[in-house]
Amino acid sequence: MLGFSERSLTTILFWVTRKKWLILSFLLSISFFYIPSPEGLSPEGHRTLIIVLVALSLIISETIPLPAVAILILIMEVVLGVDTADGVASSFMSDAVFFIMGSLMLAVSIVHQGLDKRLALLVINITGNKTWRIVMGFVTISALLSSFIGEHTVGAMMLPVALALIRNAGLDTGKATKLSSVLLFSIAYGCAIGSIGTPSGGGRNVIMIGYLAEFGMAEISYLDWMKMAYPMLLLEIPIVGIILWRTFTPSQKIMDSSVRKLKVQVAKTGKLNANQLMAIGIFILVFIGWIFFSPIIGLGIVALSGVFLYLSFGLIDWKEINRNTNWGVILLFGSAISLGIQMRETGAALWVAEQTLTYLEIIFQDVEIVRWFVSVIVTGLLTNLLSNAATVAVLGPIVLDMGGDPIITGIMTSIASAFAYLTVVASPTCMIIHSTGLITSADYFKAGWKLFIISVFLLLIISLFYWPLLSL
Amino acid sequence: MKILIGISSKKYSEPTLDVGMRIARTLKSSTTILDVGQKINEFSYKDVSLANELMESWDLDRPGVDVLEWAYNYLKKKNYIEKNSSEPGFSKNLLVDKGNGRSEVFLKGIILQNLSLILRNGDIIEELRDEVHSFNYDLAIIGGSGKRSMAHDLIQYIDSSIFVVNNFNQKQKYRILLAVDDSPGTSKAVKLGVRVAQAFNIEVDLITITNEKEISDKYHNASSRAEKMMRRSGVKSKVKFIKGELVNTLVEVAGDNHIIIMGTSSQSPLSKFFLGSKPLDVMESCNCPMLIVK
Repeated sequence: MLGFSERSLTTILFWVTRKKWLILSFLLSISFFYIPSPEGLSPEGHRTLIIVLVALSLIISETIPLPAVAILILIMEVVLGVDTADGVASSFMSDAVFFIMGSLMLAVSIVHQGLDKRLALLVINITGNKTWRIVMGFVTISALLSSFIGEHTVGAMMLPVALALIRNAGLDTGKATKLSSVLLFSIAYGCAIGSIGTPSGGGRNVIMIGYLAEFGMAEISYLDWMKMAYPMLLLEIPIVGIILWRTFTPSQKIMDSSVRKLKVQVAKTGKLNANQLMAIGIFILVFIGWIFFSPIIGLGIVALSGVFLYLSFGLIDWKEINRNTNWGVILLFGSAISLGIQMRETGAALWVAEQTLTYLEIIFQDVEIVRWFVSVIVTGLLTNLLSNAATVAVLGPIVLDMGGDPIITGIMTSIASAFAYLTVVASPTCMIIHSTGLITSADYFKAGWKLFIISVFLLLIISLFYWPLLSL
Repeated sequence: MKILIGISSKKYSEPTLDVGMRIARTLKSSTTILDVGQKINEFSYKDVSLANELMESWDLDRPGVDVLEWAYNYLKKKNYIEKNSSEPGFSKNLLVDKGNGRSEVFLKGIILQNLSLILRNGDIIEELRDEVHSFNYDLAIIGGSGKRSMAHDLIQYIDSSIFVVNNFNQKQKYRILLAVDDSPGTSKAVKLGVRVAQAFNIEVDLITITNEKEISDKYHNASSRAEKMMRRSGVKSKVKFIKGELVNTLVEVAGDNHIIIMGTSSQSPLSKFFLGSKPLDVMESCNCPMLIVK
């Protein structure tokens, strides 16, 4: 038929069934293109929104690889006349993208130093052998470390510690138990709450700082961010521990032999070697650089300086960094930030913000509540569908155009994007624990919904009563 | 002949493994056992692979290897693999990256040359299809529980024959229900049907279902040819002619104590895509294992 062999025809039909979202996005974008621009929206803004819809549907459906979505965004920006090729290229690269690139490379460099066993010893020495204390220790260490190093690094390092404890307890590491659930979720949720603490906790925080600076709204320093967000992180630690313990109370209340075996296993690795000490030293330098130099040279350049030092001191091979860095994600965030900037420049973000305010004000009767609803609830829900950084990249320009104090709205949006408790795709750590096969999609809801609600209220209380006390 | 056995978990894969290995032993085929693990979101797959690398230094296996180890031990327990091998066989922490998201457990010993244990991660239909197409398997054996849509897609989109081990009870005495007509698919189905009957040491019902008032010679001839082949191969068979609609009648006769074997439809892929096909309809409504021969 039509000159196709039966096999080629089957392959085409298979492609059509697997790529239905791509085809649908293509057809929808053509239809939207020919609809007249709504009142108050410029033709460029109209076309920018088409790109946003296409990008969102392709990211959520995962119908094509993420780098392909990234490239499509850039192509569409130029082909649809939203900006020139040079304009798109300059909005594609920013300090936020440098930071995402640098932090992913730092993660690879740190993970390869074998510090995970040191980390295990640290946790166990602090917590002892009672299971509830171990859970609290996991949440605390994951939260505190991920606030500085980034959640994906901590998640990767903590996973084997949890699995080793489960195995040492005589349990099958291939079979889900309450012990496996409580330990693994304490890593994932610990990392999620930790990522709000500082700008370096997650790429999305830096994206928001970048938007605030790019749109001329505010300059937020590393310490300013910490002052606003760290108290919430500290309050969330016991909340997460208690909710997880009550939801997944394991029958093993004491893990004496498991902890002892772990100590023996870790003891074999000996003391910290020179490379590990140097790796820790470089990270401390990076941290100091973020605090003191980032206002001058940018968070991204500081992160890249750390990568430069790791490479120069021979602590990591470029091959390892190249192999383990997710270049596709870097491309996607570059494109998403470029799209965010175009949303602002073409007036698309302002139009969506005004429409949202108009319609939601009918329901909520108060513009402040609408602003809070979009920054916190919509962001929190979208982050569970998309990914936290992509959510901030797309929603950031809209919420910042909704009026009010841009610092409050911006940081509130960034923090809410960490409420990634409900789905597997919400954050890298959720995916890391899911990859073990011990956590099902339904498990995320068991404790996740309670944490989501409590986090929303906690953020509300902090933004109403604590932030006004700060003179920023 | 190359056989692919797709497994998913320790809980549900025992019948699939059992059926697959019985057929593989009879056909003396090269066998691959494939576990398709969780699909890793693209945002996180590098983070997951970093975590997996660290797990190796803790002497912890990658997720999914435990399922393959369980499968290996099951084959040993059921004597599908010789027990007296001096080699330990399954090697912990020895997963060889074969590229393209495909890893193989390194198996020691000469007797294991014909057995491969493969781990993939991703969308189960895409991974199974890619495995079959890349390595030219003749027969893919998959479980049937709750995954009719998966079986449906695989039947449509892969080139090999497919055995859907649906509701297979290891204690049940089955008969084969082989659908016979004058299509080219029937002769292939009869050939493989003989081997399946030999693998399970069971009898075959050669069933011809037609709406015709008088059963025409072409059906009689096809049925005689099938019966002759069974006789020559030493497989006991009975011939049945039933007037009626194919799908419902076949499903009704099969009940839950037959293994249905059918040749693939000769319709074009486009027509199967839009209108479906009889084997697809049977697979969707039957309550027993089914083999569709391509």
